[in-house]
Amino acid sequence: MRRGSHAAQQRLTPQQAAARQATAQLSQALPTLDIDDMPQTMGTPVITFDHVTKVYPAQPNKPALNDISLQIYAGEFVFLVGHSGSGKSTFIRMLIREIKPTKGKIYVADEDLSTMRNWRVPYLRRNIGCVFQDFKLLPNKTVFENVAFALEVIGKSRHVIKTQVPEVLRLVGLQDKLNKRPDQLSGGEQQRVSIARAIVNRPPLLICDEPTGNLDPQTSRGIMDLLERINRTGTTVLVATHDREMVDNMRRRVIALDRGHLTRDQDRGVYGFDV
Amino acid sequence: MSSLFYFFKESLTGFTRNLSTTLGSIITIFLSLLIIGLFLVGGIIVNNIVSSVENEVSITAYVADDADQAKVDAVVEAVRSMDNVASVGFTTKEQALENFQTSNNSDIIDSLDGTNPLPASIDIELSDPQQVETVAQAIKDNADYQAVADEGDVEGSVSYGQQSIDRLFSMVNIIRYVGVALVALLIFIAFVFINNTIRLAILARRKEIAIMRLVGASNGFIRGPFLMEGALHAIIGGALAILCIELVRHFALPQVSNALVWLPVNVEFGTVLLIYAALLVAGLFIGLLGSALAMRRYLKV
Repeated sequence: MRRGSHAAQQRLTPQQAAARQATAQLSQALPTLDIDDMPQTMGTPVITFDHVTKVYPAQPNKPALNDISLQIYAGEFVFLVGHSGSGKSTFIRMLIREIKPTKGKIYVADEDLSTMRNWRVPYLRRNIGCVFQDFKLLPNKTVFENVAFALEVIGKSRHVIKTQVPEVLRLVGLQDKLNKRPDQLSGGEQQRVSIARAIVNRPPLLICDEPTGNLDPQTSRGIMDLLERINRTGTTVLVATHDREMVDNMRRRVIALDRGHLTRDQDRGVYGFDV
Repeated sequence: MSSLFYFFKESLTGFTRNLSTTLGSIITIFLSLLIIGLFLVGGIIVNNIVSSVENEVSITAYVADDADQAKVDAVVEAVRSMDNVASVGFTTKEQALENFQTSNNSDIIDSLDGTNPLPASIDIELSDPQQVETVAQAIKDNADYQAVADEGDVEGSVSYGQQSIDRLFSMVNIIRYVGVALVALLIFIAFVFINNTIRLAILARRKEIAIMRLVGASNGFIRGPFLMEGALHAIIGGALAILCIELVRHFALPQVSNALVWLPVNVEFGTVLLIYAALLVAGLFIGLLGSALAMRRYLKV
């Protein structure tokens, strides 16, 4: 299964080839963000895990994460892989400080999350975009309103909302569907809306928890394409996934977790678990 | 400023979302504030009445027609030097008749055929109405007074309105206790109701709240609409209560006042305004505290 994308392209069925071509066209249609607009902080760690252990009270003998130490640098594109129950979600929930580590320290952009005051947490989350498997869109709001909501509730002015929301929706390729409701969109489109909402505030870090978890392979590729594009603008992207093909094709840094242990941390890695 | 507008908008949608519970909490606040307000206004009226009655608490010591003037003067002097006595006056037989004439039907005077059955009296005003009994007893014990008392009957010649005052005081006290208990109960109910309404509003919006937390809305921003909703319930309830009390004051109070001319049934407008302000503040307190507690329990941010 360890083959490059070029090799893969030659062995595609016509249908798949067509889909890939469509995806490529779509990504060409997307305007690129001006890289100069983005803060360039290459070389400094955005995320640091320092001997982090998390034990849930329900399972005191089986830590969800066991002594994890790693660093993720600005501008990286990182896959976090592992089976269900390997600790991926715990990892992500600790990053946005929904839960605190039992032992060890987590730093996000030089801020220690374990000593962070509660009232500072919202300001941490403004610097982290989050995308989830279940999209978490509001069904009674339009696409535009869903994305605008993220700016509205952090107190951005109406002017900022009016300029920034259409721009980010154009970036994800939904400029024609501003007034649709989420239930009128396909799964992939809904996920694009949720990505748009995550990046509309231009956070330096984007975290995706199974972003392609319930999408078909073609749509998943489109989403990954989009994430890569966002990464190219300087945003650090962390993707938790168990989409083997995706990880193998993209050849980015892979962090593998197995039952709470960090088993592998590899640049240009592959999924690597035998299923 | 824009976020205040946002809170307002959100709390208004909260109104329509749970209309029945919203109405419920507004009505309980309204009723409790109405009863608090009525008790306050009533209390002030009763206080006015009590103080006016208290001012009329005086001791009248009747003097025999053939009393020795020197001894009467001695009694007046002795009473004047007693504790709790504000002033001492002397009413002659003629003055007593005049007073009687001005306050009563002249037919009775005519039927007297020029005789004057009224005794002269020493009138004692008290500085502390509660001490009326002590002072009365002191007068009865005075040797000079015993000599000049009307018809030689010392007990019957010293008169004062002790019993009625006592009854009034105990009644007012009972009303106060009942009022305080009732108000406490109503405040508690209003409190529970608001708490419940806000809890429902939070549950109805928990998905939105989860997203707000995810994109980093500050805690104040998440709580704002709910606090605003509680405050709005309180303000609407308070306004209704004030309206009702104002109506009662405007239309019912003059009737009562006309029916009970001998009692001073009226309230100054300044105190009424003060009561209204107090009602609004109390309502806001209930509303804000109720929603704050609901958020503490159901909205961990």
